[in-house]
Amino acid sequence: MHDIRFSGEQILARQLELAEQVRKRLAEQSVHAVGFMGAIGSGKTSLIERIMERLSSCDVRYGAIAGDSAGDDDHRRFLSHGAVSVNLNTCDDCHLDAHRVSHALDQIPLESLDVLFIENVGNLICPVDFPLGTAVDAVVISVTEGDDIVRKHPKIFTQNDVLVINKIDLASAVNVDPQVLVRDYLVLNPHGRVLLTNASSAEGIDDLMTALEIPCTSTP
Amino acid sequence: MHEYSVAAELIAAVLPHAEGISGRIIAVVLRKGELRILSDHALKEAFSIASTGTLLEGATLEIEQVPAAVHCQHCGFQGRPETLSDPRFHLAVPVLSCPQCGKDVEITGGRELLVDRLSVDEQDAPREDGASDA
Repeated sequence: MHDIRFSGEQILARQLELAEQVRKRLAEQSVHAVGFMGAIGSGKTSLIERIMERLSSCDVRYGAIAGDSAGDDDHRRFLSHGAVSVNLNTCDDCHLDAHRVSHALDQIPLESLDVLFIENVGNLICPVDFPLGTAVDAVVISVTEGDDIVRKHPKIFTQNDVLVINKIDLASAVNVDPQVLVRDYLVLNPHGRVLLTNASSAEGIDDLMTALEIPCTSTP
Repeated sequence: MHEYSVAAELIAAVLPHAEGISGRIIAVVLRKGELRILSDHALKEAFSIASTGTLLEGATLEIEQVPAAVHCQHCGFQGRPETLSDPRFHLAVPVLSCPQCGKDVEITGGRELLVDRLSVDEQDAPREDGASDA
């Protein structure tokens, strides 16, 4: 019996290459790509809508890729905010990948955009393994998922530096202390940034935009 | 649940190397970073199914874990981060902070997914059709 050693063949290497290609393509067009991952129903789309409302008043051109397993609900919401939007159905796949994103980019006039939102499929597990080429990412959870959601999915929080805890207006109604979520996250990622938001009222949106490096000034 | 696509990529990466081997491949050894969210159980099951009818049929998939590693730009630390031992988290999870100076760090290891080696039994040649007797 003997062993044959390999020289480090990376599985999923093509995904990493494609993510890097997406990153370069966006950078060449000076498009700031912001990824939104998070739990199903946590408010990813609503948060993006609130940001779009801010951007529409400050001359920043924005677009979106609406990732979902099925349907075009989010896509239509983005269109209603004047965004260039591409609906990206994964047909039951549990995450976006850079290959799909690169095809979506083919349908977007990148030269006429400043900010591109890429909303992933609602999932706190699988998107972690599939980088998309975004410049910055946010993970969104909400108090309605319970105060144990960080402890139940630690790896996504270890690897992402912006956490959004949404629906804070409902915290007392569901008997959840948002500070438990904050504390759990900072145990895993002591230097991460936490934003508390209420996407219904736009509370916390300005701080979220700052954390995601989304400008609200005109670009030449 | 993307273990099947990972298994398919793994098999596609290994098969070109398997074709010239004299003997039967009895194990494929994969090195998986601890920050990856892949189920070992599902990956082995997917490998078993997806390798049927290939030179890898009957081989076991062995998975070795690669620990997370971090680099600190502040104090120069390079190595393993501390691991959270809080029972409320149930899993041993690396903490994204410098174990030496406590400042922020970059992840430099723990996201690997590499084919490391094949174990071959040279006494047992595969049949020409690639199927196993076992």
